[in-house]
Amino acid sequence: MIRFERVSVTYASAGKPALSDVTLDIDEGELVLVVGRTGSGKSTLLRTINGLVPHFSGGTLQGRVVVDGRDTRLFRPRDLADAVGFVGQDPLAGFVTDRVEDELAYGMESLSLPPQVMRKRVEETLDVLGLADLRQRALADLSGGQRQRVAIGSVLTMHPRVLVLDEPTSALDPQASEEVLATLQRLVHDLGLTVVIAEHRLERVVQYADRVVYLPGAGGRVVSGTPRDMMRVSELTPPVVELGLWAGWAPLPLSVREARRAAGGLRARLTENGSPRKPASDVGTACTRVEELVVSYSGVPALRGVDLVTRHGQVTALMGRNGAGKSSLLAAMVGLVPVSSGRVEVEGIAPNSVRPAELMRRVGLVPQEPADLLYADTVSGECEQADRDAGAASGSCRHLFSALAPGVPDEVHPRDLSEGQRLSLVLAVVMNSGPAQLLLDEPTRGLDYTAKRRLVTAIRALASTGHAIVLATHDVELVAEVADRVVVLADGEVVADGPTAEVVVASPAFAPQVAKVLAPGPWLTVADVVTAAGAAS
Amino acid sequence: MTTLRETPPQRLRPLVPVRARAALTLAACSLMGLVAFGWPFFVTPGPALDTSHAADAPWLFALLLPLLAAVVVAELTSGGMDAKAVALLGVLAAVGAALRALGPGTAGIEPTFLVIVLGGRVFGRGFGFVLGAVTIFAGALVTGGVGPWLPFQMFAAGWVGFFAGALPQVRGRTEVWTVAVYGLVAGVAYGALMNLWFWPFAAYGPEVSYAPGDSLAANAHRYGVFYLTTSLGYDVPRGVFTMLLVLLLGPAVLAALRRAARRAAFDATPTFVPPPEQPWR
Amino acid sequence: MRAAASLTLPRALHPGAWWLWALGLAAAASRTTNPVLLVLIIAVTGFVVTARRTDDPWAGAFSAFLKLSLVLIAIRVVLQALLSRSSQGVTVLFTLPEVPLPSWLAGVKLGGAVTAEAVLTATYAGLQLATILCCVGAANALASARRLLATVPGALYEAGVACVVALSFAPQLVTDARRIRQAHRLRGHSPRRLAGLRRTAMPVLEGALDRSIELAAAMDARGYGRTGNASPSSRRITTALVAGGLLSMCVGGYGLLDGSGAQLRGLPTLLLGTVLAGGGLAVGGRRTQRTRYRPDPWALPEWLVAGSGLSAAVALFATAATTPAVLTVPSPLALPAVPVAAVLGILVGLLPAVVAPPVPHRVGAVASRQPRTAQVSA
Repeated sequence: MIRFERVSVTYASAGKPALSDVTLDIDEGELVLVVGRTGSGKSTLLRTINGLVPHFSGGTLQGRVVVDGRDTRLFRPRDLADAVGFVGQDPLAGFVTDRVEDELAYGMESLSLPPQVMRKRVEETLDVLGLADLRQRALADLSGGQRQRVAIGSVLTMHPRVLVLDEPTSALDPQASEEVLATLQRLVHDLGLTVVIAEHRLERVVQYADRVVYLPGAGGRVVSGTPRDMMRVSELTPPVVELGLWAGWAPLPLSVREARRAAGGLRARLTENGSPRKPASDVGTACTRVEELVVSYSGVPALRGVDLVTRHGQVTALMGRNGAGKSSLLAAMVGLVPVSSGRVEVEGIAPNSVRPAELMRRVGLVPQEPADLLYADTVSGECEQADRDAGAASGSCRHLFSALAPGVPDEVHPRDLSEGQRLSLVLAVVMNSGPAQLLLDEPTRGLDYTAKRRLVTAIRALASTGHAIVLATHDVELVAEVADRVVVLADGEVVADGPTAEVVVASPAFAPQVAKVLAPGPWLTVADVVTAAGAAS
Repeated sequence: MTTLRETPPQRLRPLVPVRARAALTLAACSLMGLVAFGWPFFVTPGPALDTSHAADAPWLFALLLPLLAAVVVAELTSGGMDAKAVALLGVLAAVGAALRALGPGTAGIEPTFLVIVLGGRVFGRGFGFVLGAVTIFAGALVTGGVGPWLPFQMFAAGWVGFFAGALPQVRGRTEVWTVAVYGLVAGVAYGALMNLWFWPFAAYGPEVSYAPGDSLAANAHRYGVFYLTTSLGYDVPRGVFTMLLVLLLGPAVLAALRRAARRAAFDATPTFVPPPEQPWR
Repeated sequence: MRAAASLTLPRALHPGAWWLWALGLAAAASRTTNPVLLVLIIAVTGFVVTARRTDDPWAGAFSAFLKLSLVLIAIRVVLQALLSRSSQGVTVLFTLPEVPLPSWLAGVKLGGAVTAEAVLTATYAGLQLATILCCVGAANALASARRLLATVPGALYEAGVACVVALSFAPQLVTDARRIRQAHRLRGHSPRRLAGLRRTAMPVLEGALDRSIELAAAMDARGYGRTGNASPSSRRITTALVAGGLLSMCVGGYGLLDGSGAQLRGLPTLLLGTVLAGGGLAVGGRRTQRTRYRPDPWALPEWLVAGSGLSAAVALFATAATTPAVLTVPSPLALPAVPVAAVLGILVGLLPAVVAPPVPHRVGAVASRQPRTAQVSA
């Protein structure tokens, strides 16, 4: 269905190729997962499939890409629209119209299909993707998972043979990503579509893949094979695979189910004499006190009487589904939203009663869209501004940033940074004023494993120097790695609050993969298991 | 995807080229447009227009001008704007329209001007004209402000964008000041033009109103008085405000637009090389 | 097709029908300065708007236009009463102190006596413009901007798509700007400073520009601009039509302005020009061979709505031809006449309140009006 013949891509302004010498054959009806760290050329590979590279991006394509018998040299992206459906990273950015039904029809209008065919296909697509209830809705009002499904639907109506998706679940919460992946599964199995996905969140996708293409980056050779084989060579692996590799299980498990079947012996061994994870204790002094907090937006309550005390040196994770009140709580803790009733005190001071310049010395928030805080046109400019704002010594912010993300030149535009680098920059800017408390809203959205590992290290370092840290996140693996304590919010109320292991292990929604494999044991990460096993032997 | 290397500064290929045919159409339509704005001055004493059709003339032109605007825009874009240019046009028009919706009433026009002037400046004359017209149109749709004035505003804003794209190619501080002064002039000129359109409707008394059949000099004098007494005090601050906005935001916005142009690779020329060790058939 | 002809089955009326109805009423208003008729037209538009308004963001346009009209009348009254010397009558209402003005402003006064005649003349003259504005405002409130864009001719396809993009994207920009302005606090900035403008504007603009590139890629991948080049012959026909149309419009325009020429050079030539240019647009539009998804039908309700507006215009034009005197007020202080034919014609304009299909109840419309956060928590 898709054939890459010794394909190399070199962009006009770049010295070295973004992709070199890829030879690949993808058969009809395969679900192919493209794996690689940020900058390894995943997006480039995906975009060569429908000719966006090089027709749209410019640059040189050496070799040949043939899709469904059409050579991308001769067919431009628009001519391949009925063969390849392409869904970009941010579905909202790719929408032309503002209503679900119109968006589904837009592509077909460009293909000048007859009205009856369009009508029929829109109805079919609404059914296939479970969007029938949303047909009249405005796209801006949809949830992330719904938007992603509309984006998939908007290309499906053109009846492509191949579907290409660039990180379809990276920005989604677990439930929404389940929705999207289930949809893709159905398309592959029922309609025989060929699907190519690039994704960082391997733990979500790898079990569905028929084949994995691994891009090592930095000029390394692109290899492909079965998921099991590829997980052995890939430097990026989900926790369950990592556990399997460490335990030497064969065949290598890819899903929790497979791992759990193999884990009987390990579970018994650990339960017998393994020590549980070190219990988190309320060691630090109180930092922020939230008492009976109520926050409403035009009469609709987002928080209904929340109590919370954060402590120095403690990492607290706020979990819960979208709209449970996580972001509202964070916003209230920095005084961004008015408090309807109750009290918020950061080290004894109400955050919305002090000047912003004063507040930022006490508490810092990294918002969901880190770029909202950036407005200079170079990294160094941003850092200098941050130094001026904080009254810090010149160069201190740049120093912080270099420690978090080494090797970024001064004159880069902040928007040209990778997601991980941009998060590091915002973190540096926020920490530059020396707040005792740091709040992070969904910090791992769109981060690859490497960037995530850096973030974990940074959070641990901050906690060990006595900072109080609060994370609002859906990322159960991140919580398992760094959080001492988990607070679960639902419908604006606290429904669970306790040490991470206690809250998380029993929960089907918030348990990390390792915990699911070893339940009811209290181990959350591979590192926990390794330590426990070390103690056991 | 990130490219750290700065491409050498070069003139961007105009996104909407003004070819001979489009230029002629633009000239003819603009001539008619100018007549539509300034017909009170061009009417010679005793013609048909100011006897039987005196009251209808402004409405006649208000019906004619949408067609003219459509012809110009269609002609300019008939070269086939590619997806990049259309998306950029749409997004910049959205910025302009959103600024319009934020601003109270007509006062919101200045930040919109900033977008039109700087967009025209960076992306060229043809794009400037289309950007001006589309921004005003989209703004009117968003705010529910479609009316007989709309085609006139579209033409006037189109010219503002067009001439912004025709400014001399200078860079650095000179460029910002050139654009800022242009913003001042354009702001005042736009106001004067739109007042000229409204003038025949504004019967504030015979001393300041259009008198059909009177001489050009007398009507011009009355318009001058009308403009001085009713509008100048509004237009000049508006022009000054546009200028200040350009001085304050101009450098950053220009840099952002040029960066976007670089990232979008409007000049992208795909090159294909056959696979090695295989003769290309 | 029978369903589209139903007057009671809820659906959105073709926006063109609303505009024709409104333009008909506006044309009727342009024929008269009789305050009775003008106020009647305003009442008719107001009634129909109330009956058939949607919950779209532009549905509030009518009241905005109404306010604008009142402001225009007020400005007119104030300026004419204060500035004009010769429009004043004998019935002095009150006298203001007069400011002496330089000689080149001869004829203009500032202050002085204010008479009932001046005030009423200004009100009546302003009322006509105000009525036309209200008609336009009604069309704005009733005709969906989005559906209107779906009817742009093919020659304007690119500009039309840009407008669609602008319309969907502008509200998101407003949300973005609000969020980013809030975030200033996190960097220790008070939001109300001048520098705050830049700190809001730049992230919003950069985000928008980044988005335009992603959007372009998505559009390209979804077949935008796929059907392109027209045949050379149709290009030549387009060129000829547009050129001919513009030329005859120029000649016609000149003929109108320079009355010395025969009628030949005036209005008819201008009309010929518009027809030619319009034909050019239509032929040129064929280069984009796209189809439309669920286009708005033009059926019985559309004919009735458009017809009711036109009937008002016809009634007023007929009255103007037969008894023009009843359409004006002889002197500012005289009581205006009430011409029965004209009144009936205008009242026909009320028809859309009944014959236009009811506004469909939109699923999710209520939810979308609530703030985002509230909706997520629901």
